Amino acid sequence: MNNKVIKSVGIDIGTSTTKLMMSDLTLGRVSSQFALPHFDIIERKVTYVSEIISTPLINEEEIDLTQLVAWLEKEYLQAGLTISDIQSGAVIITGETAIKKNADALIHYLSERAGDFVVAIAGASLEAVLAGRGSGSYEHSMKSKGIVANIDIGGGTANVVLFQQGKILETITFHVGGRLIEINPSGKVLSISPSIRPWLFSKNLQLEKGRLLSLTDLTKISTALAVDMLDCLAGKRSIHSLDLLVHSSSCEALPRIDEVMISGGVGQLTLAGPPSSIEEAAKYNDFGPLLATSINQKLIDYHFQVIKPLQTSRATVIGAGMQTTKISGATISIQANRLPLRNIPVIKISLSVEEIERNLLIGKEMFGSNERLPFAIGLSGSVYLTYEKMKDLSLVIGTLYHKYFPRSEILVIVCENDMAKALGQALQLQFAFDVICIDQINIGHGDYIDIGEPLTETIVPVVVKTLAFRGESNENKNNFA
Amino acid sequence: MNEGQIELIVQKVMEQLQKRFTPDHNIARENVKEIIEKGLVFREQDWKTSIPQPAFKEGVAELTASTPARIGVWRTGTRPLTKTMLKLQFDHAAAIDAVSSEVLEKYLEEFNLFTVETCYENKEVYLKRPDKGRVLTDDAVDTISSRCQKRPQVQIVVSDGLSASAVETNLKDVYPALIDSLKINNLSFGTSFFVKGGRVACMDHIGDILEPEVLVLLIGERPGLVSASSMSAYMCYRPRKGIIESDRNVISNIHPLGTPPIEAGAHIGTVLRRMIEQKVSGVKLEL
Repeated sequence: MNNKVIKSVGIDIGTSTTKLMMSDLTLGRVSSQFALPHFDIIERKVTYVSEIISTPLINEEEIDLTQLVAWLEKEYLQAGLTISDIQSGAVIITGETAIKKNADALIHYLSERAGDFVVAIAGASLEAVLAGRGSGSYEHSMKSKGIVANIDIGGGTANVVLFQQGKILETITFHVGGRLIEINPSGKVLSISPSIRPWLFSKNLQLEKGRLLSLTDLTKISTALAVDMLDCLAGKRSIHSLDLLVHSSSCEALPRIDEVMISGGVGQLTLAGPPSSIEEAAKYNDFGPLLATSINQKLIDYHFQVIKPLQTSRATVIGAGMQTTKISGATISIQANRLPLRNIPVIKISLSVEEIERNLLIGKEMFGSNERLPFAIGLSGSVYLTYEKMKDLSLVIGTLYHKYFPRSEILVIVCENDMAKALGQALQLQFAFDVICIDQINIGHGDYIDIGEPLTETIVPVVVKTLAFRGESNENKNNFA
Repeated sequence: MNEGQIELIVQKVMEQLQKRFTPDHNIARENVKEIIEKGLVFREQDWKTSIPQPAFKEGVAELTASTPARIGVWRTGTRPLTKTMLKLQFDHAAAIDAVSSEVLEKYLEEFNLFTVETCYENKEVYLKRPDKGRVLTDDAVDTISSRCQKRPQVQIVVSDGLSASAVETNLKDVYPALIDSLKINNLSFGTSFFVKGGRVACMDHIGDILEPEVLVLLIGERPGLVSASSMSAYMCYRPRKGIIESDRNVISNIHPLGTPPIEAGAHIGTVLRRMIEQKVSGVKLEL
């Protein structure tokens, strides 16, 4: 097969700004001609980048759908692409926008209109990972010995991901963002985000709408914010003691961070010098420039090595456009007429008999209402499967699945190991329902998965939406219902 | 199927499985356990040596995980550790054994494979004269002509090649998965058999005799120090004398730690179907 190019779009709708990018992802064979075929994305190229616009809002709590869609259509036109050209990508609704009233409607609306296999995702930890991949932190961590943290600071939140040797260690998100306090050029407070109020209160930094603040007053706030966040990242303060500032975290305590990159809109501002007057500080009608200055100045007091990011404001959108789509193994079992499948919850099963039945029952309880396709089975474990064991496994899974979901016409299995074709074939030969069995995708309990239409006869694009990080699962569940 | 029947099937399967997935042969295991505890047997992890206190632990782990080669095994002075040397000799011996030994009959009986021979005479001649392993004996020609279905869509042939243990280790997984994949791809197959002392190009001679549309040869590979039981699946559209190497396709390195045997078997059907569809094999085949 010659290398195939797929067009991928990334759309990032953030608290304060919205942007879009288009890219070409080149698929190529990465295994030798003597081995089983294995394909992967071998090149990622940005082909179009939009202007950064202010996220259109009707009021403080509602996104202006009509205006947003009109803008998207204009951008697609300008990029010279139609919706049918787009084969993959992601719309990410980030930070505070995700809690805006109509975010759910927006997600559904966009996932249908942005392109065929454009998935909608949200969640602070995922946003952190995407930003880290888009900013260059991920690549940098492969060449670096230590732990690299990417701090992506946007309007509403600061999303931090820790990489080591290209592996994701932890994520943590703070209520730290440039748009949390909005001011006008004379220093008058226009609004204060509810998410920062408890922290301000605890610091005795009471603010109210309409109050006039001096550059010194504002700097005091931004410095306190920067210090608390950096203290936490440096391990000087525990995550627990900063409850009011921590939005969510994947762990109780962070490992020692060696290097940091700062991306996001505020990351972009750290590259500029400190504002000299209140008018200059308020040029975006918020305290973003001051926050950037404080972080810049305070960073010197910590042991972190600061690395210049490759991308700042556009880190998340680039991550969303280029890094969300994965490629399945090329020896899989699929029924093309059943694809694409979207938002399938995953029930993870390890290879023991009691476990299989127990987990299927758990799945039935959680997702049983969807009789056609309640969930996908995630098979983990790296044990070597003989044909005999694989056959038994297929018999158990198939029989039990049919027993508990007699009305289901389709069984979806996602394996970590390279075994999908053998397992899928064995299932197809024994059972009447259709089988989609793909492999070489790492998947966790509580993840949701999208499986796209085949890119070639034997490869499907896959997007795994990880919601498993503690503290986020409830908040985001509804987005995928 | 009614509810009761399903219950029954599930129960039966479960019982069987309990037996298989839980440690079987308890008694035999006990003995082995005792031997291991006494330190009489080296398991794979007992051979492992590593760099004491590496300066960059994660980096070393990444490198050693990326290859089965003997890296990061530490040293004494400028020489390898005794354990490393012994393991190297052990693996070398296993490689030699794999070449010189013969496939036990019971592994072939499982799939009703009968045995024919090439003109290889014996292992010594086999190694010196590759050409002899490419031609079947007159007896063999007679046998397959009388016992095998003529002009099958798919002909499956198994051969020891350079490693008898490749067949013993992998055939039980590759073969049934291959049969499944033929069924899924709606391909019919003829009478499978085993060739003793075969070389890859014995496919051509067999092709001339049976005239299959496509032929797949599962053959033991030259043993290496990583695996002595690695198998290859060579595939060819209308094999016959005069075929050149670039007309053949291969999936190599099939063994439990390499290309997974069940997945290799499952993929062969797809390759063969494409050969039949495109009426071509080798480098011209679009996969």
